[in-house]
Amino acid sequence: MEPLGYAWSALTTTPAAFAAMGGVVWGILGGALPGISPSIAMALLLPFTYTMDPIPAIVLLAATYVGAEYGGSIPAILIRTPGTNAAAATSIDGYEMQKQGRGGEALGISLVSGVIGGMIGLFCLVLLTKPLASVALYFTPPAYFALGVLGLSVIASLSSGSLIKGLMAGVIGLMIATVGTDPISGVSRFTYGAPELLGGIPFILVMVGVFAVSELLVQAGKPEYKRPKSETRQMRIKLPSWALLKRLRKPQAIGSGVGLFEGVMPGAGGSIAAFMAYNEARRWSSNPDEFGKGSPEAIAAPESANNTVAGTALVPMLSFGIPGSNSTAILLGGLLIHGLQPGPLLFEENPDFIYGLYGGLLVANLSLFFIGMLILTPAIWLVNRPKPYLMAAIFALIFSGIYSIDNTLFDLYLVLFAGAIGYVMRLLGFPFLPLVLGLVLGYLIESNYRRSLLLTGGDHSVFINDGISLGLLITALLFVVGSGLRDYFDARKKKNAANADSAE
Amino acid sequence: MTYFTRDIWIGLVMLGVSIFYWLEASKIRVSPLDDPVGASGLPKSLAWALGALAILLIIRAISISLMTSSETVAKEDPQPLSERIRPHLRAIGMLALGVGYLLVVNTLGYVISIGLLIFFVSLYIGAPLSQRTILIALIGPFGFYLLFVLFLGIPLPGGTILPALPGTG
Repeated sequence: MEPLGYAWSALTTTPAAFAAMGGVVWGILGGALPGISPSIAMALLLPFTYTMDPIPAIVLLAATYVGAEYGGSIPAILIRTPGTNAAAATSIDGYEMQKQGRGGEALGISLVSGVIGGMIGLFCLVLLTKPLASVALYFTPPAYFALGVLGLSVIASLSSGSLIKGLMAGVIGLMIATVGTDPISGVSRFTYGAPELLGGIPFILVMVGVFAVSELLVQAGKPEYKRPKSETRQMRIKLPSWALLKRLRKPQAIGSGVGLFEGVMPGAGGSIAAFMAYNEARRWSSNPDEFGKGSPEAIAAPESANNTVAGTALVPMLSFGIPGSNSTAILLGGLLIHGLQPGPLLFEENPDFIYGLYGGLLVANLSLFFIGMLILTPAIWLVNRPKPYLMAAIFALIFSGIYSIDNTLFDLYLVLFAGAIGYVMRLLGFPFLPLVLGLVLGYLIESNYRRSLLLTGGDHSVFINDGISLGLLITALLFVVGSGLRDYFDARKKKNAANADSAE
Repeated sequence: MTYFTRDIWIGLVMLGVSIFYWLEASKIRVSPLDDPVGASGLPKSLAWALGALAILLIIRAISISLMTSSETVAKEDPQPLSERIRPHLRAIGMLALGVGYLLVVNTLGYVISIGLLIFFVSLYIGAPLSQRTILIALIGPFGFYLLFVLFLGIPLPGGTILPALPGTG
């Protein structure tokens, strides 16, 4: 009963419940805007959480994630422009239903399936996180170092693009993390006399830069969004009937199952889960021919999947401190800002935080249903605003929010610089997540590496003699080698196809 | 430039970055409080790792381009240069607007500067020079001022040319 007490206390004695609802509102509106992914919506909020208490701050970010996963389906259904990547699968049949005059019904299915998926994701989160975290109690400094290396290797291997570029991004993230005062000797590194850099480069600046500013730079070169037809402005959500809900149970179960699996897997995320759920739902459907022509099942499965991911993606992040997606990397950043280190000690030392977060997520998922119905008109209004004004407002929001962290313009220059780096990374096919993860895990990796060698007087065999460390390092190696082979065979396949084309 | 020659360039640049980073890491002061690894230990290892990855990328790019027949390479038809660089120039322009804001905010103050930022960014991304754009640039800053300065209590720069608004720094 103690966990329930913590959750209840968090919801009644802190503004966590309001933060949950506020996060859902912001998430839906952010997710509804094409180009604003859940991670960008969360990154924009990150500066505001600095002055908040930890529980409402993290609940606000997590609820934004929950809301954004639903919000992305609104333009996906109404104008066939997914607000988030995860909503791309929803747009296939959602827009077909909209063309048939059933857009309100499609939105209702999306909302209900999202809430069901979110609740299942939360249930799995509560069930899985503590047992997994307790495994980490056996971790020694070499094992923590190996865990950091494994996290980086897995993310670099599974991120989009080539393995080598993923690993490079991870190494660059670690390099950025070395800027500032060395935590052991107190010597300054790579600060070039700038006192602002003595404390290191705050990862919030890099996150906002590479996610949000680089998106603005991309949007500056793109044409205006497609606009919905005038009839969508008066859209009303139509909740599914009992008979339809009965029919949707199977695709929702499939979506949630896929979401559970994909959420705990690093590097997968809501987009892959949504498409996998779409395919599996079609495979197991009694009406597979309806898919692609406006099938309610084809909306229920991906929407359940991506909202389940919003819960289960927190499992590896809270258990081991290894985020598997951009959104959970930002959430991890939020935790670290408040001095909370994920892992088993978080459950021992801050149970109020963990159960308060669960309570906040419960409120977020429940309120998603009501807020989702009420907010549709404002969301459609927002989607209809001309892109230039929206982008200008987001630019102003970034500058104002980042300034509020340390009240210095130096941070704004760093954010712009990080945005330019992010833009170049997009251009050259480098994934963001390994960079951010390298930055966030930099301290964990370096401090445990050096602590291990301090204990052994510089003997590196400590990483092999420790069983857990050895296992994790071998797993990391297997991931890297496996991905390298995958890259090689992909390149060969492309080469053969290209040569065959040129021969014709 | 094909995809694979681009990777060769990326590899070369990264190799340069790794060498530069290693040289800079070598300049890190040795402290009597150092542990066996030292403050420069991890940075030097990272420089080696980045250098090794850069070489791997170059080797991979060269081997793939050698495997691909010259006819295939010739078939890759890039867009005209002007079209390819246009979005990048626009991105640079957007960055310049951001830097412009940072250069004037201490002088003009937050409210005026953020209004100018909204105005010029809106125009830059494609808004017409209309009453609506001007109105948004006039009203928007006060919304931000209310939120950040009066509601959240953040002392955003007040500027030097006009009397500072209440709450600004």
